[in-house]
Amino acid sequence: DGVAVLPAPQNLSVQSTNMKHVLTWSPVIVPEEIIHYSVEYQGEYESLYMSHIWIPSSWCSPTQGPECDITDDITATVPYSLRVRATLGSLTSAWSTLKHPFNRNSTILTPPGMEITKDGFHLVIKLEDLGPQFEFFVAYWKREPGAKEHVKMVRRGGIPVHLETMEPGAAHCVKVRTFVKAIGRHSAFSQTECVKVQGEALPL
Amino acid sequence: GQEFQFGPCQVEGVVLQELWEAFQAMKDIVQAQDNITSVQLLRKEVLQNVSEAESCYLIHALLEFYLNTVFKNYHHKAVEFRILKSFSTLANNFIVIMSKLQPSQEKEMFSVRESARRRFLLFQRAFKQLDREAAVTKAFGEVDILLTWMENFYQ
Repeated sequence: DGVAVLPAPQNLSVQSTNMKHVLTWSPVIVPEEIIHYSVEYQGEYESLYMSHIWIPSSWCSPTQGPECDITDDITATVPYSLRVRATLGSLTSAWSTLKHPFNRNSTILTPPGMEITKDGFHLVIKLEDLGPQFEFFVAYWKREPGAKEHVKMVRRGGIPVHLETMEPGAAHCVKVRTFVKAIGRHSAFSQTECVKVQGEALPL
Repeated sequence: GQEFQFGPCQVEGVVLQELWEAFQAMKDIVQAQDNITSVQLLRKEVLQNVSEAESCYLIHALLEFYLNTVFKNYHHKAVEFRILKSFSTLANNFIVIMSKLQPSQEKEMFSVRESARRRFLLFQRAFKQLDREAAVTKAFGEVDILLTWMENFYQ
């Protein structure tokens, strides 16, 4: 292959949003050759008790693209060490290790998508399905001075949920945020959305 | 959200369902290796009628033993049986729980601490009476008994 030594992948980093974690790195380039990569991980247990043990990633041992979805490998809220190496035929590079261990409690939590609908006088919300890790904190109220804010915890997204029966002519407003048990954190609130029984959604 | 409340010790950031899923994924292969059916390490006298106050001391002692002795000595089997991923999930979540448990060392808690210690010693003695490898295999296979007991404190 004319390649004596295969360079190790560089610039490892993890992008994590809403508990989806992707490890990326700069591709190793060898003209007219296809490079494969292998990803391995160590949780805090492995690095404390058996630092020589690395576990092959569920989806990327091997893989072709310079990225790896490690979501299924990160299954505890502890620091995880991650490493990647390149292979070309029988040639393998040295391992490159992520500079700082990754902990899922650093994931970016975005306000969830929501769809507010009226079923007759019924106010119904359908939340973005973000997976089993997510619960939703729904706040809703009638838009009038001194109105009381009601709260409902919704365990799963993707299914319509009845919030309340609306009064004709009054605007009813909703905002939502997510909560992730595994890391004990919640997102910011979504935009508030209001509907009126006869009218269309009134963005604030 | 739900969390563990072992008496005064509160533990967030662990989803019990994830631990169950990890153990269920390896339960059959793990428990099939345990040939000593006449002995149960985590027996009634160890886990039954544990008071809230005792529970933090007991879970701390048990998890410490599991991490330092059981998991450590079962790891090569986890590699052999190709259950490393589930094994890692359990071990790392046990580390999270351990890191958040702060059992009180105050004098007034001496009798409660002692009661929890006696329960743990029952378990440890039974463990030591078996051949080392058999004991590690049995203890690892009894993680479902441990998780069932922990579930009492998950609210």
